[in-house]
Amino acid sequence: MSEELIKVTINGTEYEVEKGRRLIEVCNENGCNIPSFCYYSDLQVQASCRMCLVRIDKMPKLQTSCTINCTDGMVVTTNTEEIAKAQRAMSEFLLANHPLDCPVCDRGGECDLQETVMSAGNVEERFHEPKNSFAEKFLSPMVANDQQRCILCKRCTRVCDEWMGETVIEAGNRGVNTVIGTYGGWLNCSQCGNCVEVCPTGTLLDAVYRHETRPWELERTVSTDVYSSDGMQLSIGSRGGKVHRIVARDRYVNGLNGEFLDVKARFGHEFVNHPDRIKTPLIRYKKGGKAIPATWDDAISFVADKLKDSKNVGVVASPRLTNESIFTLKRLATEALNSDNYAVSDAYNLAPFFDNLSAPLCNHKEIRYAKTILLIGGEPEEEQTYTAKQMRQAVRNGGAKLIIVNDTPINLIKSATQFVHVNKGSYEAFVLALLDKKNDKVSAKKLGVDKAELEKVRVTIAATEGDFIIMFGGDLSAEAQAVLANSAEKFASDKCKVLYHPLPLYNNSVGANDVMQGKKSLGEVLKESKSFIIGGSLQDANILEEKDFVVAFELFETETTDKADVILPAASFAEVDGTYTNNAGNVQRVRKAIDFVNQSKPDWLIADAIAKELGVDFGYQSSASAVFKAIADSVPAYEGLRYPALKNESKPVQAKHTIHSAKDLSNEIKALTERVEALAGETNKNNETPRIGHKLHRLTTLTSRTPQFHLLANGNPKPENLHVSPLKQFDTDGKAVAAS
Amino acid sequence: MASAVATDFTNKVLFSDEVAEFSPEVVKEMESHLTKYPPERKRSALIPLLFVIQRERGYVDNPGVNFLAKFLGLEVTDVWETATFYSMFNLRKIGKHHIQICKTLSCKIMGEPGITDHICHKLGIHPGETTEDGKFTVSLVECLGSCGTAPMMQIGFDYYENLTPEKCDEILDKLD
Repeated sequence: MSEELIKVTINGTEYEVEKGRRLIEVCNENGCNIPSFCYYSDLQVQASCRMCLVRIDKMPKLQTSCTINCTDGMVVTTNTEEIAKAQRAMSEFLLANHPLDCPVCDRGGECDLQETVMSAGNVEERFHEPKNSFAEKFLSPMVANDQQRCILCKRCTRVCDEWMGETVIEAGNRGVNTVIGTYGGWLNCSQCGNCVEVCPTGTLLDAVYRHETRPWELERTVSTDVYSSDGMQLSIGSRGGKVHRIVARDRYVNGLNGEFLDVKARFGHEFVNHPDRIKTPLIRYKKGGKAIPATWDDAISFVADKLKDSKNVGVVASPRLTNESIFTLKRLATEALNSDNYAVSDAYNLAPFFDNLSAPLCNHKEIRYAKTILLIGGEPEEEQTYTAKQMRQAVRNGGAKLIIVNDTPINLIKSATQFVHVNKGSYEAFVLALLDKKNDKVSAKKLGVDKAELEKVRVTIAATEGDFIIMFGGDLSAEAQAVLANSAEKFASDKCKVLYHPLPLYNNSVGANDVMQGKKSLGEVLKESKSFIIGGSLQDANILEEKDFVVAFELFETETTDKADVILPAASFAEVDGTYTNNAGNVQRVRKAIDFVNQSKPDWLIADAIAKELGVDFGYQSSASAVFKAIADSVPAYEGLRYPALKNESKPVQAKHTIHSAKDLSNEIKALTERVEALAGETNKNNETPRIGHKLHRLTTLTSRTPQFHLLANGNPKPENLHVSPLKQFDTDGKAVAAS
Repeated sequence: MASAVATDFTNKVLFSDEVAEFSPEVVKEMESHLTKYPPERKRSALIPLLFVIQRERGYVDNPGVNFLAKFLGLEVTDVWETATFYSMFNLRKIGKHHIQICKTLSCKIMGEPGITDHICHKLGIHPGETTEDGKFTVSLVECLGSCGTAPMMQIGFDYYENLTPEKCDEILDKLD
C-alpha cells in the first residue's frame, strides 16, 4: 500500500486517507457504518451480498463499497434515502430464505444478519412463499451446520481456502439450490473452526458450545491462548464460574490474530471446569501411600517443614505457566531455598538463541508482509498455527518466497516456493551451509540434497527486497541456534531486513527463558537434587521415583502427581491474572475470567506461600501486578513494563530482547562442523505427508478433557446419522455404538 | 414436481477414497485435453475432463472425482463444486437413454407439458427419475436452442423436433 495521502469526501466531510484503501474500511473507520456480510478485510473480495452500496459522484448506479479503492477527489454519500431503500431491499432478499428462528439459534444476539436487519433492513416481510428447509446436522464433532440459515456470503469457503489452505468447505449446486457443504458431508480437516468464527449468521455453529447458553449472558474476558506459542488473543465467555466457550471475535476483540484461532485454542477449554480437577491439597504421608486431602495451611507448613533443612532443592517450572509463576518459582529457589538448581521442563532450550540474537524477533504482521521466509524444521501448521496462516497468506496474497527445509513433506509445502527435502536430523548441516558457501559440499552430502538446491536457496535470499524471516523449529542444537541467531549480518543489506522467529512448542517457552535467568538444563537439575518443587508436570516422571520429597502443582492427576508427596491444586489460565510471552516476544495479558475452581490457587501464589512459611516475604501482597513489577525490575528485556501498558490486545508490546552484534563464535562453529561431519549422511528421508491435524488432535492432559477431541484423535470417523451428535454415536475410542 | 437435476451436494453422497482407473487410451485422451491449456493452468481442462469421466463411467461418480482431483492437482471439493454447478453433469446413475425435454418458453407454449405428461405416463416415471429396467431417464432442461422447431427433446446427443405424442411413441419404440 502506498504512503501517498489522498482526499476523499464522505457525507460532506473531507478525510485524508492512504491511496488505494478500500472505501468500506475508510467509511467504517470514520463513523459511517456500512452494513456488509461478505466483506472481510483479511480475505479476497467477493461482493455477493450487495449490502455495502454507496453513491459515488460521477459513477452510474450505486456502487459496492467493498470493491472500490479510494481515489483522489472521490465524493461519497452513504446516508441517503436511496441507499437505505436499496439496503432494505437487499436484506429483504436475504431474508426470503432465512428462517426467523433467532430465539433458538445459538448466534442470536451476536448475529451480523440480525443486527443489520434490525438497523438497516425491512423488518416486515412480504414474501409468503415457503422457505427452503433443511434439517440441522453436524459437519464434524466440532462444527454444527444449519443450512437454511445460510446467506451464501462464502466467508467460510474463503477462510478455509486462504487462511487454512485446506479447501474442505465449498459451495455446491447453483442458483436457488446453492448450499455450503463439504464433499461427502463430513469435514476431514484440522477443525480450526474459523469458518464458525467468520460466519455472519447461525449457519456454522460451535458444536461444543451448542445450546449451552445465550451469548448476551456470557461475561467476556480477553485472554491469551494456553496451547500454542503464537499467543493468540481470545475471548473467554464465562457465566456463573464456568467457561462456556472461547471465541476470537466477540466483535470487541481483535488481537494480533484477528479472528484466527485453532482447534485447541477454540475447543480445548473443557478442562477448566472438569470434574477431574484436583480439588484440595493432597499429602502422601508415606511413599507410595494414599494421597490424603489436607487444608492449604497444613499442606504449606508440611512442605516448608520438609524443605527447611534440605539442601539443593530442585525447582522445575512448566513452560505453560505464566511469567509471574515461573519468576516466583525461581525466586523461591534462589531466595527462600538458597538453591541454584532451577529449570524449565522444556527439552527445547532457547537460551543459546537469545544469547546470540543479532536481529529483532519478528511479529506476526511482519510475517504476513515478508518477502522471503526460510523455515528450518518444525511443523508450524500443526504447532504454531497462526504463524502458518500468516505464511500461507504471505505467499498467496503477498507474493512472498517460502523456502521450507524439512525431513518430512509437511502439509505446508503446498505453499512453498522451494522445498529442500533433507535427511532426518540433518538440519545442522543446513545451518552450516547457510553460514558459509564453502561448507556446501559436506552439507549437501549429509543433507542428501543436490548442491544446486543450496545455491538456489542462497540466490533467493540474496534477491530479497524487504523482510527476510528465519524461522526454526525445535530440532537445532545449542551451537546451531547460536550460530544461526548470530548470522543476521550475513544476509542483511540496504534492501533486506533480517528478522528471527523461533517456533517453540509451549505458550510461554519464550517467557520462561526470559524470566528464569541462570536456569540449568532439566536433566542436570533432575540428577542433582533430592527434593523437588515442580510447577506443572514432567514429560517423563520416572526419575522422581527415587527422590526424597516431591511437591507438584497440578490441575489434574498425572504421572508426576502419582509420584509426588504433596500435590497442590493449581489454577488454570482462565482463573489467573498474568502474562505470557509469545514467539514474537509479545508480552500479553492473561486475565482472570472465573473464580478459582475448587480450592485451586495460582502457581505463583502457592510458591509465595511456601516462601512465606520459610520466612521470606517477596512483598507481593497477593497481587499479580506486583509480581510483574518485580519481573520488570529484574529482567532487562521487560524493563519499565507494567500491566496498564499491556492493556490493548490489538497493539501487543514486544519485550526488548538484547540485540547482540556479531560475535566470535569460532568454538561453536567448530563444534557444529564436527557434529555435522559425524552425521551418517545416509538417505533416511520421510516421504509420507502426515495427516492434517496429527499433532493438533493428539490427546494431552488438557485436550483429552474435551470429549470431542477423542473422536478427532481416533481419525474423526463419519457417523451414520449426521443429524445426531457424533458423541452419541461413538464411544471415546472412536468405535460406533449401536443406536438405542 | 421433482427437480430434474440431482442436487444432493452433501447428504446422500457416499464418500469413498476409491480412485477410478482408466485404460491407457482414455488417459491419453485426457492428456490431450491438457495440451490445450498452459501447463500452470491445468484446472482449465476440468470441464472437458468431467465429460470424459461422464462418458466412461456413465455419470460423474465419486471415484471419478477423486481421479480428476489427483490428475489435475486440485482438491476434491474444487472438482465436486464444478460438477454440481453444471446441469449437464449427471451426479446419479442414469438410464441408457437420457431423454431431456426442453421446458423453456417456446417449447412450453408449443405444448411441452403434454409431451412430458405423455412420455412420463408411457414410461411410468416422474421427470428426474429412471425407469426400473434402467433404460430411460427423463429430465426437464432449460432451452436447447431449437425454438424454431418447438416442442423438442434431446435423447443422448440427438435432437428430436416438432414433437407430437404420436411422434414420441414412434421415437421411443425405436430405442432399445
